[in-house]
Amino acid sequence: MHMPNEILSLPVAGGSFAIAAVGLGTLCRVASRTISSEKASLMGIFGAFIFAAQMLNLPLPFPPGASGHLTGAVLLAIVLGPAAASVVMTSVIIIQCLVFQDGGLLALGCNIINLAIVPSFAGHTIYHLIAGARKTKFRIYAASIIACIAATILSAALVSIETAISGVIAVPFVTFLAFMSGVHFVIGIFEGVITASVLAYIYRARGDLINGVAGGSPRLSKAAFIVTLAGATIIIAVSISLVASAKPDGLEWSLQQSTAVSSESIETSTPGPANGWTSLAAVAGSALTMIVIWLVSKIFANRGGGKCITP
Amino acid sequence: MHHTVMDHLSMQDTFLHRLDARSKLIAVVVFTIVVISLRRTGVGIIAVSAVGPFAMLLVGRVPLKLAALQIGCLCPFIMIIAISSAFYDRSVVTIAFGAYELNTTQGAIGAVAIFARFAVTMMAIIALSATTRLSDLLAAFSSLGLPKILVMQIGLLYRYIFLIIDRACHMLGARAGRKLRYLGLRRELSTSAAMIASLFATSTQTAQRVSDAMMARGFDGTIRSLKKSTFSIADTVFLAAVCAYMALLLAVKGVI
Repeated sequence: MHMPNEILSLPVAGGSFAIAAVGLGTLCRVASRTISSEKASLMGIFGAFIFAAQMLNLPLPFPPGASGHLTGAVLLAIVLGPAAASVVMTSVIIIQCLVFQDGGLLALGCNIINLAIVPSFAGHTIYHLIAGARKTKFRIYAASIIACIAATILSAALVSIETAISGVIAVPFVTFLAFMSGVHFVIGIFEGVITASVLAYIYRARGDLINGVAGGSPRLSKAAFIVTLAGATIIIAVSISLVASAKPDGLEWSLQQSTAVSSESIETSTPGPANGWTSLAAVAGSALTMIVIWLVSKIFANRGGGKCITP
Repeated sequence: MHHTVMDHLSMQDTFLHRLDARSKLIAVVVFTIVVISLRRTGVGIIAVSAVGPFAMLLVGRVPLKLAALQIGCLCPFIMIIAISSAFYDRSVVTIAFGAYELNTTQGAIGAVAIFARFAVTMMAIIALSATTRLSDLLAAFSSLGLPKILVMQIGLLYRYIFLIIDRACHMLGARAGRKLRYLGLRRELSTSAAMIASLFATSTQTAQRVSDAMMARGFDGTIRSLKKSTFSIADTVFLAAVCAYMALLLAVKGVI
């Protein structure tokens, strides 16, 4: 769900970057106060763990050939707390952008809000609201599954809202929101089940990592899973039906306005028959320039300038 | 693996590699802003904007095949959005390319433009990543005001990625070696959860050992680098060239 640059407008990208910067600055101050330098390496390892855990994909029965993986924000928020989890997830997003080119550079603000700050805080709050002070097995599973579903759908909804305000794509807001919520509801279930299972293992093997854990060896209860899933489905279905009102809401209205504006701007700037030769000249000229650069680089490559140096 | 390839590429010694990380970062950010602000859907302007990152890839000796593969791997999400966008705007327009004219829809043109801009900005970020060591980028971030704890976190994360991913690869290999078919959702789920949890537990143990070792060596939360960031004449020339290129893009966007 990493947003690319191309579906955002500059004001939305800039605004979200500013919000993310302020939020992250505050969270970093909180994390600096609460986390000692000894625990800094722990956070680094957890960031690397999230990367590696995202590689361990699970084959899904539907659609055929599909597989899913853990996102990890809620799990980290439960284990490390929301501020530290936000910082760790932000570092993961920055590395994914810079090293793996996943997510746009201008969309970093949106991605940090959608995938790091909001899911960490929402997931942590919901988890503790449901799990309560006295955590039973049922509560732990129900809390982690509902927290993951809610956090995932909230992130997906934010993507839809940011895209709608940007007005770059022509897909209507409600359609995009319904599609994103539906897909991410399924992803949220998967994320929740994996998070609950991982928490169960951690409670059993390393209960000392998390405080306030029920004793014994909790296992994923089928009844707890079904009840939680049914409850979450009802909540989400009601929420989506409220959003999918026949009358346009404020965002839908703003999307219509922005789409109309962008369509107009596209229409006036579309290359027509009159400037077809200019387009051809631009493409041919660019291609020619690239070929020249490629040839020059080949010539200079043979002079041994690109030797790898030791780190 | 991709990150090791990028790490290896970033250790080359070319003109772009020798530039200060800040100048490359600023150049790529400004370039991305200009490309995204080009609302015009003509192919000409996108072709012209592709020249800059293409040149960066070649000067930085980044294999074009690698860049193409990376763009191909990451395009499905933008492809879905772009293609679905095409279905919602079916107003017919005529486009001309040289002597050829073609009737198509506004949505189809928009979809192609979204994907083309994605490819161009991706080329720029690949060029940045492949010509700059992460430690230099972190130093640039730090000098540009990114919080110290976040810079340290990113540095530590990158340091451990190789270690933990290697461990995850061993686990994946072991699972593939023992499992010859789909085991059903329940068993697949429990296996994956156990693997992730086991990885979590071993990561924690590793973190504890590493933390002890770092504290024993006097780590106080600050990562120090022997290399000093310096803004040379080459950086000034590079940024001037980028500014001229941006000015050219903005000047021709109303023409082609």
